Amino acid sequence: MFLLAASSADSTAEAKGHEMTDLLSPDVERLFLDATTSRSRRVKNRLASIWMVGALLVALAPLTLVIGYVLFKGIGQLSLAWFTEDLPTITRKAGGGMGPAIVGTLLITFVAALMAIPLGILGAIYLHEYGGKGRTARLIRFMADVMTGVPSIVMGLFIYTVWTLTFGLNGFGGSLALGCLMLPIIIRTTEEMLRLVPDELRQASYALGNRKWRTILTVVLPAAFGGITSGVMIAIARAAGETAPLVFTIGAARNLNMNIFQGPMTALSVQIFGNAQTPFEAAQARAWGAALTLVGIVFAMTILARVVSSRVARRHAA
Amino acid sequence: MTLLLSDDGVAPHGGGDASSLLEPTSGRRGDSAFKAVALIAGLTVLAILGLIAYSTTKEAWPAFKQEGLGFITSTTWIPAENKFGALAFIYGTVLSSLIALVLAVPVSLGIALYANEAAPRRLRKPVVYVMDLLAAIPSVVYGLWGIIVLAPAIQPVYKAISDAVGDVPVLGWFFNGESGRSYMTAGIILAIMITPIITSLSREVIATVPSAQREAAYGMGATRWEMIRAAVLPWSRGGIVGSVMLGLGRAMGETIAVALVIGSQAKITTHLFEAGDSMAAVIVNQFGEASGTHRAALIGLGVVLFGVTIIVNVSARSIVSRFDRRSQGA
Amino acid sequence: MRSSKRSVAWLLAILVTVGLVAGACGKSSSNSSSDTTSASSKFDYKSISGTLNGSGATFPKAFYEETIAGFKKVASGVTVNYNAVGSGQGKKDLAAGTSDWAGSDSLVSDADKATFKGPFLYFPTVAAPITVSYNLSGVKSINLSATTLAQIFMGKITTWNDPAIAADNSGVTLPSTKITVAVRSDGSGTTSNFSKFLAAADPTDFTIAAGDTVAWPAAQAGKGNAGVAQIIKDTPGAIGYVDLSDAKATGLSFASIKNKDGKFVAPTLAGATAALANATMKDDLTYSALNTAGAEAYPITAGTYVLVYVTPASNASAIKGWLTYLLTEGQNLAKDVDFAPLPTALRDKALAQITQIQG
Repeated sequence: MFLLAASSADSTAEAKGHEMTDLLSPDVERLFLDATTSRSRRVKNRLASIWMVGALLVALAPLTLVIGYVLFKGIGQLSLAWFTEDLPTITRKAGGGMGPAIVGTLLITFVAALMAIPLGILGAIYLHEYGGKGRTARLIRFMADVMTGVPSIVMGLFIYTVWTLTFGLNGFGGSLALGCLMLPIIIRTTEEMLRLVPDELRQASYALGNRKWRTILTVVLPAAFGGITSGVMIAIARAAGETAPLVFTIGAARNLNMNIFQGPMTALSVQIFGNAQTPFEAAQARAWGAALTLVGIVFAMTILARVVSSRVARRHAA
Repeated sequence: MTLLLSDDGVAPHGGGDASSLLEPTSGRRGDSAFKAVALIAGLTVLAILGLIAYSTTKEAWPAFKQEGLGFITSTTWIPAENKFGALAFIYGTVLSSLIALVLAVPVSLGIALYANEAAPRRLRKPVVYVMDLLAAIPSVVYGLWGIIVLAPAIQPVYKAISDAVGDVPVLGWFFNGESGRSYMTAGIILAIMITPIITSLSREVIATVPSAQREAAYGMGATRWEMIRAAVLPWSRGGIVGSVMLGLGRAMGETIAVALVIGSQAKITTHLFEAGDSMAAVIVNQFGEASGTHRAALIGLGVVLFGVTIIVNVSARSIVSRFDRRSQGA
Repeated sequence: MRSSKRSVAWLLAILVTVGLVAGACGKSSSNSSSDTTSASSKFDYKSISGTLNGSGATFPKAFYEETIAGFKKVASGVTVNYNAVGSGQGKKDLAAGTSDWAGSDSLVSDADKATFKGPFLYFPTVAAPITVSYNLSGVKSINLSATTLAQIFMGKITTWNDPAIAADNSGVTLPSTKITVAVRSDGSGTTSNFSKFLAAADPTDFTIAAGDTVAWPAAQAGKGNAGVAQIIKDTPGAIGYVDLSDAKATGLSFASIKNKDGKFVAPTLAGATAALANATMKDDLTYSALNTAGAEAYPITAGTYVLVYVTPASNASAIKGWLTYLLTEGQNLAKDVDFAPLPTALRDKALAQITQIQG
């Protein structure tokens, strides 16, 4: 494959050169490629550049395709009824809305965040402010890293065995599973943010007579607030999109259920999963609409997180 | 003053020695209470992980006891006859993840190198943003796109390739079959999903290469590619391997997208364009109405998945941290 | 003159209509053998309230969705939910007490009866053909004998131009496309009925156990009847078993199957009704319409049931109202979504069984 690319690369190198230089930083190419650089070296360099730019384009292709399809096929579904009405009784035909699923996703993720955020921030405080390089802290840090890699379906099975079997299908089981997924992410990102807070701030606070806990609560946390928020939002965005942990724990519901402790609920991700496995136009259209809604929620949080963190970085730089 | 200076950005231990000079001793209780609360919060991580390992293994035990080693060596999975051999699913998980790696690693590495070495300054941030967006898309959305758009569209491509090279000796072992929902399609979707992870981690690693190394290479008249080969890659090799393994771990654990496009047919074959199954996909497909030993066997699959992803993750982290220590030392 | 003739005609029409309506009202109060198509009940739907959660088979899903919508109009105080997760899970949910009613195309095995909280009843609701749907461009219709069908699903026949298929279809040119068999991944009453048919009609080839889950040798699996329909629709050369309602809504082609009398019959409601006519009913109102005698009978006709407890934990009157509706007004909705209503005798027995529910 590379041999074919090599022969064509040489001949089209000049033509490609012009578009390529827009995507490549110019310095190296012009400064060092002179008459003494052999042809084969130049070709190899050119191939490498093609590889790098090509890789970017190859990664962009599915991104544009997926987002394009979701936008194109889902936008027709969005309306006031989409956000407020219950799921349709007759699933093969158009009608109804995604109200219960949107509320379900937001509610379950919110409750999960309520549990994971305090635990995560406190855990990170222990790791950075008290634990340091101690054995317990190193173990917790290591296990938190390991926990980020636990497949979400294993979390779902775990919560199924400890909660659903005893307390039945309800939204809270889903929240527990999502909370377990969010916890390690929040711990690690918060610890990174705490590390960025300059020690002088802490020392100044001690010098004024504050105890350590007061320093942490009133000086360190506010200083790291932007970064922590950003990390939390990334974790929430990840949790909101999860499907596997919810499938076994929240059941299925057609109507709105705001009681997270009782009765089955539904969520956008679960709706997408179910509707994706039907051949009916109307059901698939609902899946695309739900995908657009979910991606919208997730993107909004991700972009917001980036904005917050870049604003924090600017403040620190200034 | 030296009492107040600390290393590595860690606050002074022991609850603030300096402040004890100024405050009454009763305040120390507030500190210990707070420290205890924070410690408990941190320990929940250990508690949860331990509980996962314990409760899932306990629930899965009846199946493990019944099948013994056959659970992972037998290919006969027939719940109606109380037989649970998961080899075909383990094979499917490994195969689809390997396909994903083969597809994703060249792309991720290319992007990581591009972002650090070859991109014009103004394009570096957008590239990172694009990777963030790719990573943010929920897996179920990739699965939806895969089952409705990709699988039907790529099926004729598979058929054409299979008709062309199906009988050729080495190629025909792999490029055979004509099912839109297949190992290959699952591998493609997985590759799309793990690319952002490998890219961002590799990028961070590559960014730590000291510019002295780069400049030395350029100073000797190297082209950009030769500089990358001589200075960047050897330096970041460990970190890149670590990030690839983390991507592997993520691919093995992926459930929903794979369940939608892999075809749900338990089969051990090297034909990439044929339908297959994976551990996570089987769990999500069969769990709803499973009971007794069947349910235990499915939870057992979860335990195997848990164990495998932990091993992969731990090895990845140790490789990356070993690399970290080495680079910091130098 | 014309206008007076017109008014006389109108008057006559009104009188006739009033007479018919009066007659119909009078008839329904005796709850005896009235024509199924104009069945109605005098159950007081307005007096019942509650939420009935049901789960189970995807086979009758379209019918239950229609009747749930229709029931809501007459009994506004009751909300009925149906979660189509397959007969297997429907039965398990009822046994666990997490649902009020179960939809199932297959019976509870003797071993599982002990897991239920008490005695339960089978209420037949509708029946329909299980189509053998396929995706083969250029072939609009195809005949399949039970033997060929069994061999296809057992993986012994792998291409569409196999001599066995050609033998069933003289004069038709069949392409050499590979056959992809599509089956269910979840526990399914449709699977149970289809596999029972193969076991009864061709035990030589179909040597594996029939039931809610079958160890098909080589098949792709989908979730629910809709999932199987989706595989067939998306895969050239695919063949699978799907209920008529979903298959028609997906636009699939169906095979005509050779019945016991040797005739190739297409999956239509007429074929299903013919099969039902020759089915043997048991005392608990269950029956099998598979592989029945009759020249017009479609051999893979399946019935479906609603299962409820004799003594429900709650909502007994709502359950009775729901069942009454299903067996009276609900029957009128069946044909619209490609289901065959019950034969009158069976329907009446089912209506009578409602009185056995206590509470």
